[in-house]
Amino acid sequence: MPYDWIKSVTRVMKAASGQVKGLDRVPFFAISDEQFISRIMGITTREILSSPETYANCIIKTAEFIQADTIQIPSAYAGPLEAYAFAEVNNKMNSIQWYDYKPLAIKPGEVCKTEEDIEKLEIPDHSKIDLWETTFTTANIIKEKVNLSQSMGVSIWSVVQELRGIDAFKDIRRNPDLLLKLCEKIYESQLDAYNNWVEKVGVPPLIMYTGYAFNKHMMSFKDAMKYEGQFIKRFQEKIKSPFMLHNCGTKPYFKEICREIDFVAVNGSHPLDIEYWIDFKREFPKITIMGANIDVSREMLTGTPQDVEEKVRENIINLAPGGRYIVSPICCLPWGVPLQNVLAIPKAIEKYGRYPIKTS
Amino acid sequence: MTSEDLLMKLKDLIVEGEPQKTIELMEEIIKLGLDAKIILNEAIIKGADEVGILYEKEEYFLADLLMSGDAIKAAMEILKPKLLMHSDIKPQKVILIGTVEGDVHDIGKSLVSSLLQGQGFEVIDLGSDVPVETFVQKAKEIKPDIIGLSGLLTMSISKMHETIILLKKAGIPSKIIIGGGVVSKQSCAMIGADDCAKDGYEGIKKIKKILSE
Repeated sequence: MPYDWIKSVTRVMKAASGQVKGLDRVPFFAISDEQFISRIMGITTREILSSPETYANCIIKTAEFIQADTIQIPSAYAGPLEAYAFAEVNNKMNSIQWYDYKPLAIKPGEVCKTEEDIEKLEIPDHSKIDLWETTFTTANIIKEKVNLSQSMGVSIWSVVQELRGIDAFKDIRRNPDLLLKLCEKIYESQLDAYNNWVEKVGVPPLIMYTGYAFNKHMMSFKDAMKYEGQFIKRFQEKIKSPFMLHNCGTKPYFKEICREIDFVAVNGSHPLDIEYWIDFKREFPKITIMGANIDVSREMLTGTPQDVEEKVRENIINLAPGGRYIVSPICCLPWGVPLQNVLAIPKAIEKYGRYPIKTS
Repeated sequence: MTSEDLLMKLKDLIVEGEPQKTIELMEEIIKLGLDAKIILNEAIIKGADEVGILYEKEEYFLADLLMSGDAIKAAMEILKPKLLMHSDIKPQKVILIGTVEGDVHDIGKSLVSSLLQGQGFEVIDLGSDVPVETFVQKAKEIKPDIIGLSGLLTMSISKMHETIILLKKAGIPSKIIIGGGVVSKQSCAMIGADDCAKDGYEGIKKIKKILSE
């Protein structure tokens, strides 16, 4: 029987808008990156990216295999691919590393090694970057095949870290103006990526914003607003799509940032205390929680399917009543995760996530 | 200014993370002939401890740790030759550290490396994306007290596991600590590491604890 993507889309839309009436069950969102797709499909990253058709097929088949209700193009996440674009236009392609069974990576700090590198940093034209073109076309193929519009990723600090490396943190103390200059260039670049996306794919239904600066072990909240938050606010003034906040850090400022910036959803796994998330839902009833405390490096990786089931149950009974909750393990599904643990998620949703939710 | 004042000032420069000013003051202190061990214990280690407390109280963040790390490193480069002249100085503990193969993230690992070096440990930093065989080969060569495996990506756990298996197969007796956002007590136990740390600062604390046992 073909996978019912129309049902999945409806499920996600209803859950995210808090419409429990007519909602059959809690949806399932998982982040499958190139390594997990490689594992499921049995081909290398280069083969996956060899054509938009292959890429789209692999992404769809992986999502269907794990019985997810959503699809994301891994390269649309504004991390390594943005850094790749900067590396290409600034003649730093030797900083890019390809792997057989995982996403490409950039050696942190290679593109903006010196202050001069930042001053002279060229902003990429995304229409001329091959991997971005592949991503745009892949989004269109997915839309055509399963009628699912793709979200686009934006981020400032994750790209800063890719381009400037550990020196970015030292710049907070020793050269904040230079650091802001780099943030500004990344912001301009992301706007270019967005404009290309709109032109080639259409307006994305959701912007997946990766907010790595907003972690207590990274920087103060004030600095996070300075080097990332203010740019996200500027994005929101220009971009009409709603924003979802993704943060897979272990000490996130979820509540603090949601008091400052508008999000329709948050996607994270820490703090691991479910009480934090119950309290979050109370304070932000209109924000959809995607995740809560299902962590891929804990029960997903080292536990049993029963452990995973229990974790999903805990999240559902506490957060799913009333809608605006989507089950999601955070972050990317690791290479070594037992597949029965991944498949335990849709099974647990089927068992505990049918509306109306039984809370006892 | 008295010796106590100078040591206090040096400690403050470390806490404030001022590498250049630390160098200037260190040169002044060395010229005065202050005892190297007193400089280490009364200014550098006290400064490092204060930085750690501020980090734990969330008054300091990664940028502050890194800048203080640079100041400590600068002070230690000047102090090291003087310390070696002490006959009662114990042989340095050796730490082999690196980010595992397939992972290029190096912030936590570099922080650990730089702060431990700054506190007088001998740290061999293999960098990032380090092949399993390189860890084994280097461990055989330098016989480290501790091996630190770092990683940020979720797939790094598998690579840490592979590295630990080969290190044990090669008969390397060193304690192994894993670090990074992906590690947990569960994954630590699963792959046979001796301990784990979520971030760079916790890594330093755990390494120092293991070395003091």
